[in-house]
Amino acid sequence: MKVTLHIWRQKNAKAKGRFETYHLDDVIEDMSFLEMLDVLNERLILEGKEPVAFEHDCREGICGACSLTINGIPHGHEPATTTCQLHMRKFKDGDEIWIEPFRARAFPIIKDLVVDRSAFDRIIQAGGFISVNAGQAPEANSIIVPKDDAETAMDAAQCIGCGACVAACPNASAMLFVAAKVAHFAYLPQGQPERKRRVLAMVEQMQKEGFGNCTNFYECEAACPKQISVSFIALMNRDYLKATCSGEKHLLQTQQV
Amino acid sequence: MGIFSYLRSTILSKVVMAVTGAILVLYLIIHTAGNLLIYFGRDTLNSYSAFLHSLGPILWIFRVVLIVSVVLHIITSIKLKFENWNAKPTGYALKHYLKARFSSRTMIWTGIMIFAFVLYHLLHFTFRVTNPQHYSAEFFQMHNAVSTVILERFDVYKMVVLGFKNPLISLVYIVGVIIVGFHLDHAIQSMFQTLGFNEKHYFPTLQNLSTILSIIIVICLISIPISIMSGLVGGEI
Amino acid sequence: MILDGKVPSGRIEEKWDRHRFEMKLVSPANKLKYKIIVVGTGLAGASASASLAELGYNVEVFTFHDSPRRAHSIAAQGGINAAKNYPNDGDSIWRLFYDTVKGGDFRAREANVYRLAQVSNSIIDQCVAQGVPFAREYSGYLSNRSFGGAQLSRTFYARSQTGQQLLLGAYSSMMRQVGLKKIKLHTRKEMLDLVVIDGIARGIVTRDLLSGKIESHWGDAVVLATGGYSNVFFLSTNAQVCNVTATYRAYKRGAFFANPCFTQIHPTCIPQSGEHQSKLTLMSESLRNDGRVWVPINPGDKRRPNDIPENERDYFLERMYPGYGNLAPRDIASRAAKRVCDEGRGVGLTGNAVYLDFADAIKRLGREVIEERYGNLFEMYERITGENPYETPMMIYPAPHYTMGGLWVDYNLMSNLPGLFVIGEANFSDHGANRLGASALMQGLADGYFILPYTIGHFFATTKLDKVNTDKVEFKKAEEEVTSRIKKLMSINGKKTPTQFHRELGKVMWDYCGMSRNEQGLKKALEIVPQIREEFWSNLTIVGEEGDLNIVLEKALRVADFLEFAELILWDALERDESCGGHFREEHQYPDGEAKRNDEKFAHVAAWEFTGDGNKPIRHIEPLVFEYVPLTVRSYK
Repeated sequence: MKVTLHIWRQKNAKAKGRFETYHLDDVIEDMSFLEMLDVLNERLILEGKEPVAFEHDCREGICGACSLTINGIPHGHEPATTTCQLHMRKFKDGDEIWIEPFRARAFPIIKDLVVDRSAFDRIIQAGGFISVNAGQAPEANSIIVPKDDAETAMDAAQCIGCGACVAACPNASAMLFVAAKVAHFAYLPQGQPERKRRVLAMVEQMQKEGFGNCTNFYECEAACPKQISVSFIALMNRDYLKATCSGEKHLLQTQQV
Repeated sequence: MGIFSYLRSTILSKVVMAVTGAILVLYLIIHTAGNLLIYFGRDTLNSYSAFLHSLGPILWIFRVVLIVSVVLHIITSIKLKFENWNAKPTGYALKHYLKARFSSRTMIWTGIMIFAFVLYHLLHFTFRVTNPQHYSAEFFQMHNAVSTVILERFDVYKMVVLGFKNPLISLVYIVGVIIVGFHLDHAIQSMFQTLGFNEKHYFPTLQNLSTILSIIIVICLISIPISIMSGLVGGEI
Repeated sequence: MILDGKVPSGRIEEKWDRHRFEMKLVSPANKLKYKIIVVGTGLAGASASASLAELGYNVEVFTFHDSPRRAHSIAAQGGINAAKNYPNDGDSIWRLFYDTVKGGDFRAREANVYRLAQVSNSIIDQCVAQGVPFAREYSGYLSNRSFGGAQLSRTFYARSQTGQQLLLGAYSSMMRQVGLKKIKLHTRKEMLDLVVIDGIARGIVTRDLLSGKIESHWGDAVVLATGGYSNVFFLSTNAQVCNVTATYRAYKRGAFFANPCFTQIHPTCIPQSGEHQSKLTLMSESLRNDGRVWVPINPGDKRRPNDIPENERDYFLERMYPGYGNLAPRDIASRAAKRVCDEGRGVGLTGNAVYLDFADAIKRLGREVIEERYGNLFEMYERITGENPYETPMMIYPAPHYTMGGLWVDYNLMSNLPGLFVIGEANFSDHGANRLGASALMQGLADGYFILPYTIGHFFATTKLDKVNTDKVEFKKAEEEVTSRIKKLMSINGKKTPTQFHRELGKVMWDYCGMSRNEQGLKKALEIVPQIREEFWSNLTIVGEEGDLNIVLEKALRVADFLEFAELILWDALERDESCGGHFREEHQYPDGEAKRNDEKFAHVAAWEFTGDGNKPIRHIEPLVFEYVPLTVRSYK
């Protein structure tokens, strides 16, 4: 099949970007979207042109490295599918495809389609953990978790940190990402002692990173390749309110070593 | 900053939007119910109006709450909107929305239009600036065990009828109310989400109810000018 | 040279406890004075960084990803083993130890494996405490399932995303220490060389993948947790950037590379569909719990699978290995699949696939149960192939998946280079010639959480370390070498891309050193690989600049090392003149096609020493003694 690609090319963070158009005539339906880009890149290299920089790694939909906004939708139009798992059979012969980087102030463009998503790491660093040192843990079955709670926690914990929620949100809000982590721990007994501190710290870091506000568009949920529910955002709002009302301090205690 | 320190928190800002919004929605429901009294005739509507005016300081408490809600709602929304624009400085060349409703994406614009509409609405019916000729008093008899007195009260009924007999005023009103409806379609369900009420088993229902309530409010309100223009109500004036 | 694994004396049950007591300690105040470099942030690297920082050491951790959470451990699906015996089915530390030694076809160090089984239970405790949402029973207690190569249920799992959840657990612990400033995190920096000063590993040279800057970093010890090298086959289940560079560079600096020919081929992957393919996708082995593997009895049977009647199907795993059936260990199941395909009974377009059929399981358990157990795997399969596995059987074929070989380490996880520790898949230690399902996660976390934190202290307490900094001549020299290597690559101006060379290399390795090997083929590959390498260095093209994000240069550097390293695998495969585990030499098999070990000559670890470019490396030996698990023919019949 043949496709026409309009790809955002940008030399570096400061340069001005623009779309470039490429025609591919030898696309096979069984190719993944990224394999289609591989074909383009191999061609570009042989022509002595710089290949399109894009992020990818595991190519099985779990590492969260791949991104791309394809025809206006992060990870493309196929629901619950990352770009690396999107296959060309989902497109038609002759399709025009617009490929853009994930756009948000908090995700500055590094080059072409590569953006900097380290803000997510700093949010986790602020509180996305249970403070347990290796060796401290009690016998695993001494902590009982009702099956339904464990399942819901897992629904939230599935987040792959790809940033599609931010890319899809007209406000570039990171609420779904943060809420997924908050909810993951909120549903587990292990997460209770730090529950309030965690939500305050993570939300504060989220704001520092320059993400927008949640205005309940629910685009994030629709674009999320793991279909993480916005009900976790509601839970986070509730937790945040409770924590604020209880006057919880969220500063990380510097641990004595 | 004092009272406005909540603006530093994205979630608290949203909570303020939800709570003030909820107050305004509740007011709107009561206001709509009150307006519907027009269908029970001149006396019912006018005595309802007189009752409200007779509340005195209590009425002012309501008014203050409403004014504060409106002010906070507007300030917060502007702050949120600027932050949101700032967070997404570049849009996509091609954008497909998957879930965001039209009403959700236009909240700031419907909000601004509603603000303009409400200002006009107040100038017309509350401050009686735009059409002072619609304002008049009504004399009515009041009976009690010993005597009958003739009293004077504000003729809301007449004012409304005269106003809505003007097609331009009716049109502005109808459009304004529909815009309010759009705003509510997003707002009501959004309020539940922000305040933390979203579980998968009831939220879709809640979203539908939000839309239904918005439509009911719109229908109730726009039925009034339509009834008046078509002569079903207020033909006697 | 006869290598000493430094296994402590005493009975196997007591070795680790005794060793922990005998190892010297570093006081809390002194721990603050040491800086440890950790390369890699997968399960091993992240858990080690977190644990070392918790102890008080200063840690600098490096990943070439944009985030530590992208490491390929995240893709492990099936689960993690532990000897908890929760299902009451007779498991024990001893049995896990026994199964792992036997599963590894008697080519692993007994003491290491026993220790692994011992700490396995603590890993589960630790992960649960971190909030890993393992599968639960309705009672709220942890749930277990069975897994390939085991006759009991000892595998803990979180849907089909166990690796993800365990990695996120380790990652979150690590990020907590980053927040506490005990760990300095370097992202998008790729290690390109190891720096050895006075015989001790003292640092690394990295390339900043964004700016191209070559930087040196010193430490009091260097920990490599850089994973395996399955991508030497080009098509494997590994992530795109997985490579051998870090361990191979350490090898070139004097660390011994052990058993490089021990590579694992995973039986349940989605078959290749065309030349464009960039990777093979693994389907969790847990599918074999309920799926039945079969091919048509008659070669060349092109009917649709559902049209082939029961009596014309060959459920070959159940037929050949009645004891384990579809759960036969990976190497055995993979070879059986290859055998039936070689007989012309393979299915699919390429004839290189076998069916994995869930029709019986759906009939027995109902579609809901199957959906609950494997729903997301089925979805993934459908996304990739466009076929619905609820209706037509899946097609699977083996693919390179894991490498048991790696840098040689002693019982303390330290290589022959003092100060260089190697953990996780990057070392060779625990899996012998074949790894059992759900044991990789166990080993990565065991090394990181519960072994390295003790043994590295012993190294510090017993070694006098001079102060170094990156101005030292050794650092400068290593930087220069890296820079000139890059300059050389950039200036070739040839006509082929790094990927083209990689694909060529992969094909040779798969054809001659894949699921089965023979002397003739290996010798032939030893002729071809240097030719490819020569062409690489004369006909490679790289576009873009050095001082920029340059994906072509990154790839070229990795392929360059694969091209050298491939030869090491071939030498090892050639000299190990026996079949064992994943290393199947066609010359050595029983009449029924099973691997035939030669314990007299090869019950040892082969550790290779680099002797200069172009020279054949020297093969050293660490003899393996089996005191507790008697050497037997590994039979799963």
